[in-house]
Amino acid sequence: MDWSTLPWDKIFVIVTVLVAGPGIILGITVPAIGQAIVAYSGLKAISRQPEAGDRINSIVLLSLAMLESLAIYVLAVILILVFANPMRAFMLGG
Amino acid sequence: MLKKNKKTLTLLLVFGVVIALALISFQIRKNTGYEAKPVAEEIAPHVVFNIGPIQVTSTVVNTWIMMLLLGVGSYFLGRSFKIRPGMFQNAIEWLVSAIQSIINQNIETRDPDLFFPVVATFAIFIGVANLLGLIPGLHSPTPDINTPLAMALVVFLSVPYFGIRTQGLGGYLKHYVEPIFLMLPIEVASEIARTFSLTFRLFGNILGEEIIIAILFIISPFIVPVPMMLFSIFTGVLQAYIFTLLTCVYIGGAVKAHQES
Repeated sequence: MDWSTLPWDKIFVIVTVLVAGPGIILGITVPAIGQAIVAYSGLKAISRQPEAGDRINSIVLLSLAMLESLAIYVLAVILILVFANPMRAFMLGG
Repeated sequence: MLKKNKKTLTLLLVFGVVIALALISFQIRKNTGYEAKPVAEEIAPHVVFNIGPIQVTSTVVNTWIMMLLLGVGSYFLGRSFKIRPGMFQNAIEWLVSAIQSIINQNIETRDPDLFFPVVATFAIFIGVANLLGLIPGLHSPTPDINTPLAMALVVFLSVPYFGIRTQGLGGYLKHYVEPIFLMLPIEVASEIARTFSLTFRLFGNILGEEIIIAILFIISPFIVPVPMMLFSIFTGVLQAYIFTLLTCVYIGGAVKAHQES
């Protein structure tokens, strides 16, 4: 079988998309569970002690932002894979 | 029972209206032969003109327009301050006191006014930059990675600046080796990593929002993207708040070591 006759550019696009979809699902689900735990415990803490609400609120938002950046890293990697893959020129020979 | 039925009916009606709008706009686009631009082309900044070897992109032009709006607006607002505040002055005073409360909560210092200019500039600049895309014809500067990177670099440099200013060079450098000197590489790595984390948080959030709006525009450009644009107001303001909060936390970490020692 002659490998060079295969439509490599189409295969490249298909593989990229097939990787990007499950990748973003995994990369969003796991931080979402973490964010849910943070929001849950923050709500519990505020309802137990409403006077400390302001302080707890800012800490909860801070942790949510930290966890969200994980999902954002996944989004950045997927965007680079789909729109600006640095391997494309190397794989397809320019 | 009746109420529940009503709710289901309303939901079905909303779905029907959305689908009908999508079909109508699809038909209109088919008849007029309008071709939607690819998503990447719609969002990526393009070169407007060149000054010698320097390319001036649309991001820079939008930032200039924003600076003009902010500068002229604050000049006219600052000239007309009164003892009994009007509508705009009330909003500005609320904003200033909110930023001051963020500083007071996160930086332990006797002189909060020292940090106010940097923190307030970040808050107002990022807030306005995220909302600029809602004006037709303008794009937000923040989905270009260079803008968040520049702001994160300012944070990266302002942390040692305030640390040295409040506690002197030796006192600031001491907090790198505070429990034992093995902490030095970890501290340096975390300072570099949080710069990139700040960059990618702002960039990714606003870019993701813009991509979703652009995809909705391709599907049906009529009314369907409007709820997503309303949601983008919330995201933009929240991201400005989070960037300000994180800046305060990082500066507070550099300043706090001083007061303990």
